[in-house]
Amino acid sequence: MEKSLEVRNLKLHYFTSRGAVKALDDISFDLYKGETLGVVGESGCGKTTLGTALLNMPTPPGKIVGGNIIMNGQDLLTLSESQYRRDVRWEKISMVFQGAMNCLTPVYTIYNQMMETIQYHRDMEKSEADARIRKYINLVGLSDDVLRRYPHELSGGMKQRIVIATGLFLEPNVVICDEPTTALDVVVQAQIINLLKELKKELSLSFIFITHDLATEAEVADRIMVMYAGKVAEIGSNEEIFGAAGPMHPYTKKLLVATPRLHERVDKLAFIPGVPPDLLDPPTGCRFYPRCSEVMPKCSQEEPPITEVSPGHKVACWRCA
Amino acid sequence: MSEYILEVKNLRKLFPVRRNLQQIIKKERRFVHAVDNVSFSVKRGEIFGLIGESGCGKTTTGKVVMHLQESTEGQLLLDGKDVTRLDKEALGIYRRNVQMIFQDPYASMNPRFTIRKVLLEPLEIHNIGSTQEEREAMIVKALESVKLTPAEEFLDRFPHMLSGGQRQRVATARTLILNPEIVVADEPVSMVDLSTRAELLQMMKDVQQQMGLTYIYITHDLSTARYFTDRIAVMYLGRIVELASADDLIDNARHPYTKALIAAVCEPVSGKVNVIKEVPIEGEIPSAANIPPGCRFHPRCIYAQPDCATEPEPELVGDENGHFVACRHWKELKRKKA
Amino acid sequence: MKTSIAKKTSTGTNGKRFKGQLAALWNEFKRFKYGMVGLALFMIFVLIVIFEPLIIPFKETGTRWRDITYWQDNPVNAAPAWTNWFSAKDKTPQETLKATNIVKQEEPSADMTFIDAEIHYNYKYDDPPTDMAFRATVMGDVSFMLSLVRPDGIEIPLFDTYTSSSTPNDFRVSFNSDALDNIFEFATQHEDPTASFIYNKSTLNAMNVLFSKAQYGILDNPEPLKGEYVFKITAATIGSGDVSNLRIEVAGKVFGILGTDNAKRDLWSGIICGTKWALLIGLSTSLISVFIGVLYGVVSAYFGGVVDMIMMRIFEIVNSMPLLPIIIVMSAIFKPNLWTMIILMCLFFWTGSVRTVRSMGLQIKEETYIEAARALNASNGRIIFKHMLPQLIPYSFASMALSVPGAILYESTISLLGLGDATIVTWGQILQGASSGGAVLHGLWWWVVPPGVCMALMGMTFAFIGFAMDTILNPKLRTR
Repeated sequence: MEKSLEVRNLKLHYFTSRGAVKALDDISFDLYKGETLGVVGESGCGKTTLGTALLNMPTPPGKIVGGNIIMNGQDLLTLSESQYRRDVRWEKISMVFQGAMNCLTPVYTIYNQMMETIQYHRDMEKSEADARIRKYINLVGLSDDVLRRYPHELSGGMKQRIVIATGLFLEPNVVICDEPTTALDVVVQAQIINLLKELKKELSLSFIFITHDLATEAEVADRIMVMYAGKVAEIGSNEEIFGAAGPMHPYTKKLLVATPRLHERVDKLAFIPGVPPDLLDPPTGCRFYPRCSEVMPKCSQEEPPITEVSPGHKVACWRCA
Repeated sequence: MSEYILEVKNLRKLFPVRRNLQQIIKKERRFVHAVDNVSFSVKRGEIFGLIGESGCGKTTTGKVVMHLQESTEGQLLLDGKDVTRLDKEALGIYRRNVQMIFQDPYASMNPRFTIRKVLLEPLEIHNIGSTQEEREAMIVKALESVKLTPAEEFLDRFPHMLSGGQRQRVATARTLILNPEIVVADEPVSMVDLSTRAELLQMMKDVQQQMGLTYIYITHDLSTARYFTDRIAVMYLGRIVELASADDLIDNARHPYTKALIAAVCEPVSGKVNVIKEVPIEGEIPSAANIPPGCRFHPRCIYAQPDCATEPEPELVGDENGHFVACRHWKELKRKKA
Repeated sequence: MKTSIAKKTSTGTNGKRFKGQLAALWNEFKRFKYGMVGLALFMIFVLIVIFEPLIIPFKETGTRWRDITYWQDNPVNAAPAWTNWFSAKDKTPQETLKATNIVKQEEPSADMTFIDAEIHYNYKYDDPPTDMAFRATVMGDVSFMLSLVRPDGIEIPLFDTYTSSSTPNDFRVSFNSDALDNIFEFATQHEDPTASFIYNKSTLNAMNVLFSKAQYGILDNPEPLKGEYVFKITAATIGSGDVSNLRIEVAGKVFGILGTDNAKRDLWSGIICGTKWALLIGLSTSLISVFIGVLYGVVSAYFGGVVDMIMMRIFEIVNSMPLLPIIIVMSAIFKPNLWTMIILMCLFFWTGSVRTVRSMGLQIKEETYIEAARALNASNGRIIFKHMLPQLIPYSFASMALSVPGAILYESTISLLGLGDATIVTWGQILQGASSGGAVLHGLWWWVVPPGVCMALMGMTFAFIGFAMDTILNPKLRTR
């Protein structure tokens, strides 16, 4: 399958006054055309940072300190900032930020805001831009008359659709969505997820779907990358992670068991005791070992390598090495 | 002692909508019907869930029970005694018996207070404990009951130094320190990490056993509700549309809205990736200032019949298992003609 | 077991917390250069107030500003002494010339004692003094005779007086008042006869004549005569009279660090004395008015509804009242006194911070922890004082700093109109003197510029501190 994006050994540090927080530590994965890659993990694991890193827009004081982001054979990180802004952001990779629907300016109509975005990026004839806006507004399931409205007149679901449309209308290859459904009601959430699935098929896009909610991920992602404390714990297909066989990494296993299911009566929900490690000074060995129930002596000494247990299924665990 | 520790009867909470000049002249009054004729009873020692999407009135109901808002109409009974309107003194006593855990663990504590100060506050307000040592002991005990040990480590910290889960424990400890009978928990775990959610809910259950508490658990998350609650009431646009035990509600949902909610929930199982999920609901949620006539759900109901719009709103009708539903046609639901 | 916990009180931690907060604030503050400048200026002002008695030559300036006898030896409208450096003409500085060669001669037959003394004066300047005063401590009946021997040999008799007092008295004779006749005669003797009829005693510049070459033009265009001048004094005491501490005070053309005004008052002393009043007025007005304003704003925001509406209407009424005319009228009716002025200013200044504080209060009111406090049954007072006010303290400091210049300026405006407190010296009053004394007309820049500059500096001090604090503590960013 064709690859939209290849990320190799990506490293990002936040240079705070207390030292360098190693937020992304050697992240590698592939994104294939027409698929949704789910990035899942708890708060602080680095998934949002990954999103901003792919756009080369790390939140200060963050800086990318190593790695490659390869698209169409070119390492995007070799580009200058202005080149990135001109050619990559929104053109090739776009992002729907967390809480983006709250970032729509209240004093301009939707049409104005979308027009401004398009014209900032491309020299388009006004009529062409207009047509493009309408096409994508309709594509996300909204009627033309939302264009005349102001953000406060619209519901959460509608705003989220508009933000998604904005991420799409320059027709990028990769769309990164950071918690696009977290702030929405469950019915609207389902509708947005359906929308994303339709868009993926119709436009043959690649999505990177970042969330902390495993359940949502299961219904959305073709492949899932589980992150923990700035590192990749496991990458696998939807079937490999959520299927009967179950995931291989102890963290993923625990995460799955801790997710309550609607259609199963559970008496006691499992949980993972402890807290994620401090990324200023991560422990030696596997980052998960203090909370792992399948820990071996080796785990505290050496970091586990990424093992491909079956084609496409990678696990960073000594038990699978 | 009555069987029901809390009874809510025909509760209504209306918020006036700002009128423009034209409306003032015409003497038109419009109200947001946040809570529109809600009745339920909570058994002593049970965990009672209030489920619904945003705007359904569940949080407002919780606030009315807490007397943070005053009801417009209806009755509130605590252990058989009428507590709908309370004077200052009675309110003080009421608030010792009914406490609340808020959704946002960071915002619900004054960021400039140490944990000690946060926990001392209820003791100071209600004048509990005569010496400093006594109060300190009570605070430590409260922290221990929510498994924040060693307590001394936390007492001098500030909220921002704790994780979300730890903050929610402190918030829980703050309610427990007054030894209440009822705790209203408004989305207590929705802003907390997945792996900590289970831990928090487990802790809350343990505390309930220890102290014989009753919970009113307000959430939009059906999955945790199933795990945590004994009975669930589903609210839509200010009304309860279905009420049953947790298992019965989810396995045998009767109301179309409940069915839609259940269908919309995501589950961590494989095989759903390329399936466009069918969510049996139409349209958008209307404004609570413009409640649709007849059954308020009918504009969005895919099984709506002509009489759903014309006949008066259906009442909550139950069977011998305690499964109540507010729908006339629930037994034979037929899809609308397209 | 766990006894250690009981010892830790919440005030202990709060104290530590406060210090931590201060340290953090200080770190932020250090980044603002102008804030540091303001702080440095403030320290200078405080040091001035503390060391006031040490730095002013006239220690009783504060109480005797309006006592002319205190200032009598100073020159009128004299420029600061250091201006001598910059002027081509050497101006006579202020000096006290002590008597030398004192010879006492007793004449018991007439029951008199004769005292002869000399006072030497090395005059090397181009611009003669403004006046000279002969002074002595006398008791009993004493007569004096004074004459001057100039370097060119001419002797001029100056005056011949007599005084009597039963207690030791400070005796003073000013040349400009009592030696005019003699000096005028000396002048006309040496002036061009055709020119001298224009001049008479009243237009005579006695000092100019005394210290200039005896030649034509001595009256209108004198040339300085430099050299050794000797003043011969003969004093005669009768009976038990006594005379001592003979001296001549030379009232120079230049005086002191900041010169003098038309009442001969040392302006440096006046301005230094005025510093403490400026600080007092500025700080007390701003402290009281900001405190009232903040409390008002918070209460209005917290209660909302009708209470808020009424309080805001009251606020708007007071806010739109013109303070200056009211203060003027009040000062005209009642005796103007510093404290009544401060109270009056507080009555109107409190409105300054109300709006911002109210909007901050409205924001804080919506925070969940306020609701949580209500759920715990916290009283209104508790919520206002324990939850809301502490968040507003940082903003209050910034607000206080920024309202200090306003208070000082109001006081000086009142003083400028002559309505200030007459028992103290303030910068505004000095300016008022300058205005009524025609300082600008006469080119007496040292009277006008220093008080103005000082007011500007103090305003700048607090403005800088206030702006720096405001930038750090901007309420829009920091209700948490």
